[in-house]
Amino acid sequence: MTNHDDGLPNDPEGIRLMIHALVDGELDAAAALAVERRIAADPQLAAEHARIVALQAAVNRLPRPDVSDAFQARIAAIGMAATAQQAQDKPAEPRQGTPPAQPGLIAPIGGSARRNAETRPSQARVLPRTRRFGSFDWRALAASIVVSAVLASGVTQWVMVNSASDSFAAAVASGHRRSLLAASPIDIVSSDRHTVKPWLDARIGVSPPAPDLAQDGYALIGGRVEVIADRPVPALVYRHREHLITLVAEPQQGGGTTAPDDLSSGGFSLVHWSDGAFSYWAISDMERPELDDFVAHFRKAAV
Amino acid sequence: MLSEKALAERFGEVVLPHLGDALALARWLTGNAADAEDVVQEACVKAHAGIAGYAGGNARAWLLTIVRNTAYTWMSRNRPRGMLAVGDLGDLDEMAAAHGTSQPDEDGPEASLIARADTAALEAAIVALPQPFRETLVLRDINGLSYREIAAMLSVPMGTVMSRLARARGLLVSELGRAP
Repeated sequence: MTNHDDGLPNDPEGIRLMIHALVDGELDAAAALAVERRIAADPQLAAEHARIVALQAAVNRLPRPDVSDAFQARIAAIGMAATAQQAQDKPAEPRQGTPPAQPGLIAPIGGSARRNAETRPSQARVLPRTRRFGSFDWRALAASIVVSAVLASGVTQWVMVNSASDSFAAAVASGHRRSLLAASPIDIVSSDRHTVKPWLDARIGVSPPAPDLAQDGYALIGGRVEVIADRPVPALVYRHREHLITLVAEPQQGGGTTAPDDLSSGGFSLVHWSDGAFSYWAISDMERPELDDFVAHFRKAAV
Repeated sequence: MLSEKALAERFGEVVLPHLGDALALARWLTGNAADAEDVVQEACVKAHAGIAGYAGGNARAWLLTIVRNTAYTWMSRNRPRGMLAVGDLGDLDEMAAAHGTSQPDEDGPEASLIARADTAALEAAIVALPQPFRETLVLRDINGLSYREIAAMLSVPMGTVMSRLARARGLLVSELGRAP
């Protein structure tokens, strides 16, 4: 294979993943154009593309399970009947088995899903579709491939040696480290909290306070979504000189207020506190006193 | 705090429109339609209990996450031997990474052959996929979730979603290409 100058992966495996992403509508216009050019120039890639398209169409034609009227009525009855007894008989959270479900805590995954054509017309779509944010930069895709490879090779070791009870903190730290490895530490680039908040709200239905602390030396530069303990949680990214600060805000349900607590370890400063609405985790490679200063400013501004 | 009446209405808006998707996912995870109804019903009870925690956004992805978790709990309870050990997942991904995601290009069958594949052959090929590959393929090509939504649901990096999906499709293509 000749080397191309279009920024796409040059290994056969990478370009193949990009073709799948093209077929799945996951590429933005610029990346889609670049992949289409590669396909046009290479009969083997064109054949692969045709196979994927044909397969997806065949899968789409598979018969779908019917939602019988009886079943629909049975489920609708759950909404009616269970409401009456919910007060005294709240079903237990599913705990056993592989990944814990925690239905009450699962924040919805934002964006709307685009569907392939000719899916169930019989199924009424009651909710309006929100705008899709999923058409992300292909660089993020490429970075994601690299990151998963790097993760497999022991970057997470620091996380592993910490005690299991600090697993949330470990996941926050892992997310921060991952973000430093990625091409961009943020999914939504904006210094405007009026942009960052609605973006987070639309994606995961949660938007923590996002004060801009630029006059204090901590500029809000964007946000991203972290997945911790099976749940998407909002993360804000601030910059202080050459350092990045990741602030993860986990929604609390009726939790109390706690003072900042130092959980620093492994070369990172990590501070945790709660304000009743959110449980915050601030992590950075700054020195602890500097991070404390950030936390103090944030807490004052977030009230 | 929402009133119980409001919660019941929200259940009707959030859960009921997506029962078809829920059944399709459960059918492919459990392997048959009757078990799928049991799983979805159980998932809907959990969804109802947790409806107060649904705060807008993609209702389908929210419900499917509950359906998926319920399906695995249900299978571990009803057919312990059928479950794939969690430790196998990483091996599969390593395998997929090490050996590439599909067959060499020159060996790939004609697209027209795949387009003509009959329903039974395709369904059998999907059933035969290793569970992490099957799950990713179904969430993408049958439930229509985005890579990001799948990554969030499975708690894996997006690159893993992509390689599992490519691997799943590669296996289906080579299986269908082998048919007479």
